[in-house]
Amino acid sequence: MTLFDVVFSGNDTVYGLTEGAINGAIEKHGADKAIAFPNTAYSLPCYYGVTGTKVATLGELKDALGVVKSLMTREKRLNDAFMSGVATALCAEFIEVLKYMDGAVPYEEPCYGHLADAVIRELGVPLVTGDIPGVAVILGSAPTAQEGVELVKSYQAQGILVTLVGGIIDQCEEMGYKTGANVRVIPLGKDVTSVIHVVSVAVRAALIFGNIQPGDAAGLMKYTFERVPAFVNAFAPLDPVIVACGAGAIALGFPVITNEETFRVPKSLIVQKDVSKFNATSLEARDIKIKITNIDIPVAFASAFEGEIIRRGDMQVEFDGSRVDCCELVHAKEASEIEDHKIEVIGPDIDEMEVGSKNSIAYVVEVAGKNMQADFEPVFERKFHSYLNCIEGVMHTGQRDMIRIRISKDAFAAGFRAKHIGEVLYAKVKSEFAAVVDKCQVKIYTDPAECTKIRHEVATPMFDKRDERLMTLTDEGVEVYYSCIMCQAFSPSHVCVVTPERLGLCGAVSWLDAKATHQLDPEGPCQVITKERIIDERIGEYEDVNEAVRKFSQGALEDVSLYSIIEKPMTSCGCFECICGIEPLSNGVCIANREYAGMTPIGMTFPELASMTGGGVQTPGFMGHGKHFIASKKFMKAEGGVARIVWMPKDLKDQVAERLNETAKEMYGIENFVDMIGDETVAEDPETLLAFLEEKGHPALSMEPMM
Amino acid sequence: MALKGLDIFKLSPKKNCKECGCPTCMAFSMKVAQGAIDVSACPYFAPEALAKLSAATEPPMKTIKVGAGDAEMTLGGETVLFRHEKTFVSKTRYASAVCDCMDAAAVDARLADIAKVDYERIGERMFVEMIYVNHSSEAVSDYVEIVKKAAATGRVLVLGCTDVELAKAALAVCKDSKPILNGADASNYEAMNAVATEAGVVLGVSGANLSEIHDTVEKLEGLGNKNLVIDVTGENVKDTFANAVQVRKAALKDGDRTFGYPSIVNTAKIAMGDSHKQAALLSLFTMKYGSIVIAENISYAEALPLYGLRQNLFTDPQKPMKVEPGIYPLNGADENSICLTTVDFALTYFLVSGELERSGVPVNLIISDAGGLSVLTSWAAGKFSAGTIAKFFEEAKIEEKVKSRKLVIPGKVAVLKGEIEAKLPNWEVIIAPNEAVQLVKFMKDFA
Amino acid sequence: MPFTAKSGKFNASINTVEIGSGDKAVKIGGENVLPLYSFDAPIENAPKVGIEITDFGMDNEPDCVKKYYEGCESIADIAKKAASFEGVDFLCFRMEGGDPNGANKSTEELIGALKEVAAAVDLPIVAAGCKNAEKDAELLSKAAEALDGRNAMLLAAKEENYKTVGAAAGLAYKQIVGAESAVDINLAKQLNVLIGQLGVNSKSIVMNVGTAAAGYGFEYVVSTMDRIKAAALSQNDANLQMPIVTPVASETWSVKEAMASEADVPEWGDQEARGIDMEVETAMAVIASGSNAVILKHPTSIATITNLVKELV
Repeated sequence: MTLFDVVFSGNDTVYGLTEGAINGAIEKHGADKAIAFPNTAYSLPCYYGVTGTKVATLGELKDALGVVKSLMTREKRLNDAFMSGVATALCAEFIEVLKYMDGAVPYEEPCYGHLADAVIRELGVPLVTGDIPGVAVILGSAPTAQEGVELVKSYQAQGILVTLVGGIIDQCEEMGYKTGANVRVIPLGKDVTSVIHVVSVAVRAALIFGNIQPGDAAGLMKYTFERVPAFVNAFAPLDPVIVACGAGAIALGFPVITNEETFRVPKSLIVQKDVSKFNATSLEARDIKIKITNIDIPVAFASAFEGEIIRRGDMQVEFDGSRVDCCELVHAKEASEIEDHKIEVIGPDIDEMEVGSKNSIAYVVEVAGKNMQADFEPVFERKFHSYLNCIEGVMHTGQRDMIRIRISKDAFAAGFRAKHIGEVLYAKVKSEFAAVVDKCQVKIYTDPAECTKIRHEVATPMFDKRDERLMTLTDEGVEVYYSCIMCQAFSPSHVCVVTPERLGLCGAVSWLDAKATHQLDPEGPCQVITKERIIDERIGEYEDVNEAVRKFSQGALEDVSLYSIIEKPMTSCGCFECICGIEPLSNGVCIANREYAGMTPIGMTFPELASMTGGGVQTPGFMGHGKHFIASKKFMKAEGGVARIVWMPKDLKDQVAERLNETAKEMYGIENFVDMIGDETVAEDPETLLAFLEEKGHPALSMEPMM
Repeated sequence: MALKGLDIFKLSPKKNCKECGCPTCMAFSMKVAQGAIDVSACPYFAPEALAKLSAATEPPMKTIKVGAGDAEMTLGGETVLFRHEKTFVSKTRYASAVCDCMDAAAVDARLADIAKVDYERIGERMFVEMIYVNHSSEAVSDYVEIVKKAAATGRVLVLGCTDVELAKAALAVCKDSKPILNGADASNYEAMNAVATEAGVVLGVSGANLSEIHDTVEKLEGLGNKNLVIDVTGENVKDTFANAVQVRKAALKDGDRTFGYPSIVNTAKIAMGDSHKQAALLSLFTMKYGSIVIAENISYAEALPLYGLRQNLFTDPQKPMKVEPGIYPLNGADENSICLTTVDFALTYFLVSGELERSGVPVNLIISDAGGLSVLTSWAAGKFSAGTIAKFFEEAKIEEKVKSRKLVIPGKVAVLKGEIEAKLPNWEVIIAPNEAVQLVKFMKDFA
Repeated sequence: MPFTAKSGKFNASINTVEIGSGDKAVKIGGENVLPLYSFDAPIENAPKVGIEITDFGMDNEPDCVKKYYEGCESIADIAKKAASFEGVDFLCFRMEGGDPNGANKSTEELIGALKEVAAAVDLPIVAAGCKNAEKDAELLSKAAEALDGRNAMLLAAKEENYKTVGAAAGLAYKQIVGAESAVDINLAKQLNVLIGQLGVNSKSIVMNVGTAAAGYGFEYVVSTMDRIKAAALSQNDANLQMPIVTPVASETWSVKEAMASEADVPEWGDQEARGIDMEVETAMAVIASGSNAVILKHPTSIATITNLVKELV
């Protein structure tokens, strides 16, 4: 027998039962006899949702059954199986409604049967907000009552709403396990048809919360698939009726997980022999993420502790990357390689270390997620400093393999151990990066040999690879750029266009940062800008970029170029690290950084330059930018690139010298270009500067006139 | 479209002679573009370049000066309709009114009231800067006498007088203080123009509707008078608001230079006897385009919110308001009261001091120079760090002035705790909550 | 030469949102011109004025407000009295006492009071929370349920709790969702988008884009509102076309200019006049910047603003 045959036969069985029951009822009560579920405006909810037709009498129910029959096509195609599943569910609803005839109360404690609209409104809100992260439908009897209750308990602890159908209800009773709507464990009924009451919840949620029009079956299924995070746990043995009901569940987007060896349908019908793994398997199948609300550590965790300093005398132990091998690392892996919330300590724990000693530590946070990208690794890693410092009695400095961590005697006495570092990292990474992290595990190495190995064989190559990626990321090499409007609060019309070679002018938002910001907060300040329609390659002008700039500046800006300071230069908000401006006499530009207090050869100080360049207004000849941009090959590329730089404050020159020299060498074959650039020790006025430049043979002097 | 600095530079002599006071022609050009300096400061600009430039840089709205000496103030000169586009330049000025329909005692009482409102708010003196002296058809007192009395207060006068001879007599006693003669209309503009021009004062133009005013202004300009203000007060509130907006919009957006003059709005006329309605109108016309707004009698009740509003509105949208660094004792704090520090950004200061006041706990609020930025912004910019706080404590001699050694810092910069304690070893640093609204409970629990 | 004004009418308009049910329902928004620019095109719905009362009744009110409620014994009496003042278009019940850092009243107690208030008046109801986002999530969800059928406005959904408040108010009970952000056009827009993504109809959203008393950082309020209206009308940005409602009273009746007693600052004069003027000047300024509804406290302020708005539109 194929899966199709099983579904079809189960469907036929239920249909037969339904038809018999309806005919019997009509015979007994007449076709005009009223039927309805109590306390709902959507009777019969599932049938109404799918067809848009309300059913109020036995006669109408009979007509409805005719409609159901039309769903029961018997081609061996997936759609036929799904529709037969839906038909089975609708039959179940018909059978159930008959139980409520004449105001009968067919279900008694602890079973609920049909749920009122008011309950759905109540449950719907936490479902929409994610406070109820999922809905479990548990069907049948677990291998043992103990296992059944453990499963229910595991969902309950995660805030998942649990509905019970069949033998599991007796198992809970047997174990004395408390059920009820108030504890979010709702026994529906012992007949398999009572499963329709949870389907009815999903359907009404779509009508009430999703504004789905009754009869829009496709819209309904889309809604339940996307917005109702339900799944089914069906215990062996499965009969064809249960399988047919399961097909209905799958049609609504709810995966079925069973411990019976049966047919497998990827992501929909999943066999998990181990009942203790039902929870993890179900959550992964339905893509349900559990919010982490508290961090399980023996000391406090709050931003108030971020600035705490632990002095040598108060210190229990220290991990010091400057003396021994240490490192911190985020590593993106495949989901199958990670067991969520596994925290391993490899090597001695803190209580095995001498008080006041220096030790090795290497912690690797391994993450997996459908939307995870290796580019996010450093973004997470940069947050570790803040996370670990928020722990009461822990001080963290540095990054990568140059970290130092101190743990106070008080924290140690309170029970703080190595694994708690893992707890904090796990909880923060999972909660703050929930949009991209599905699973996370932490390995904490304290064994010196292991640390050496991790540092040199794992971490260093990864850091090198990342650096190389950063170095080789070019504007041409990526598909999209990002907008950044974080500064609009005080610079209303400014929009930064962040590209790999041109970071935000504040110096704080690189292309990778912008990309991560966008992924983590899709409605946030960083949005994708495509770059498909180029207007002018020389100055870096794109129709797509212009459209984005117009949109994000609310029409204040028309067009910008990425690489020119003269033609449609990018605007500045006011938080620029540096400003460059034309110095006409020497046919080049001077750059001043925020820290520089003196005069520039342009005749203006940094604050004066800032007052003309800021505010999101295009100021040809002047431009704000990040320090990092100075050595970029795209730095005023349209005007000839970095060779235009004639003056910079000495401090700034020292900061960028190495990279700028490299760029100049690569672009023009000039050695030690920085030595040709003036600074405040050479000149603060244009004439003296020019004399200096002539003496050095600065390339700007022989370039095309800038204006 | 205003010229960009670089365009002006291209027209400049490019000699870097420094005679204009700027070190380079580039710096000069940028300042001209900003409106910070007039192009006439350069002696070497070629005439044709100058002509090209002044056509492009002539402001859409004239800047008019009134008052003399210390009381001199500028009106108009606006370039934008909304403050987020660019800073509004000339703040709204307020006038209380006296009238020859009042008897002498009433006039004296009113003038005394005017003198009462005088205080300082974030470094700015707040007072009724102008007096509107109205001539009524039902006069009971001598107009010129009232003008004399009003002039003696030192406030800038606006003479509301359409009687040419009376205006002449009034100006005879006050013209040196550069008042405004608000008296020209379609019927008398020629005579009034002569009176105002002779006295060297600004002439106010009114009319039955905008077309009539437009016409009269054109005629006055034809007579060579561009030292004008426009009284946009209409029959009722609705007309007055429409006039105020239309005149400003026509000048700044539609390039109608005839309407490019400052405006006068007389709320006393359209809301006589209703002080709260006048208060609302003072606010409305501060927001929408009154250069001078007149009310019957501006008391503290009207003034306190109004001057605050004006101070907020006429700020550079890119430069936040700052409060003076220093120790601000709140709730009767003395040298033994604990200290709390935050940044000098005015909005932060008001929020924090407001919540601290609500807590009722005596506290010394210590404000250091953080560049007028909010807590996190200034921290990120390095303007609110352990170093800056410690430096300020030393410069302002806090340890000499306050005995308490407990310092509360904003929760958002909890990260500074250790560093501050290292730099100010005598102090215990306490972390406040992240948000100002949580301060009340925090302070109460703390005290 | 006569003057011909150029029309400032836009092709886009602000959404019209109806609040309340029955005869007393009011509409806000709908205009296709800048605030109060009725000379550019007729403004169908003049800005509306609501009166604010709180669960503390008259306990925390200044004397100059208390005197208008003399004889009121219950919260229902207060609500009825408030609804009777000249120019009141709607009634706002602020559940201030819910603040966990303040009186920390239970949700049940506050919802009980809300029900009494709602039963006492047939005006449109605005239920406002206590400013604590977490408590408001619970409070406003229950309020949405308690006001089922009243087409009430819930103030407000914020970034921290918009899912709960939006789902309960906008989806489960089809009320009007107030979206509150802190004086920043992009935050306002982002919140509207997020609430829309929940499935709430954009025509059921109003914005509180943040406010301040005149003099207290009010420039941010002005520029935020100016920019929102410009984006909504000239850029036809559908995510910013929601009408704006601004609670003014809760800001102005806490600053010292309004609250300092005459005994403390004799030169400032009568406290009632100061309180009213702070309230009307702030209200007029937010209306001029684009508020489609304001929430005030003092009966004289309400009458003044209502009458002035009628004259203007």
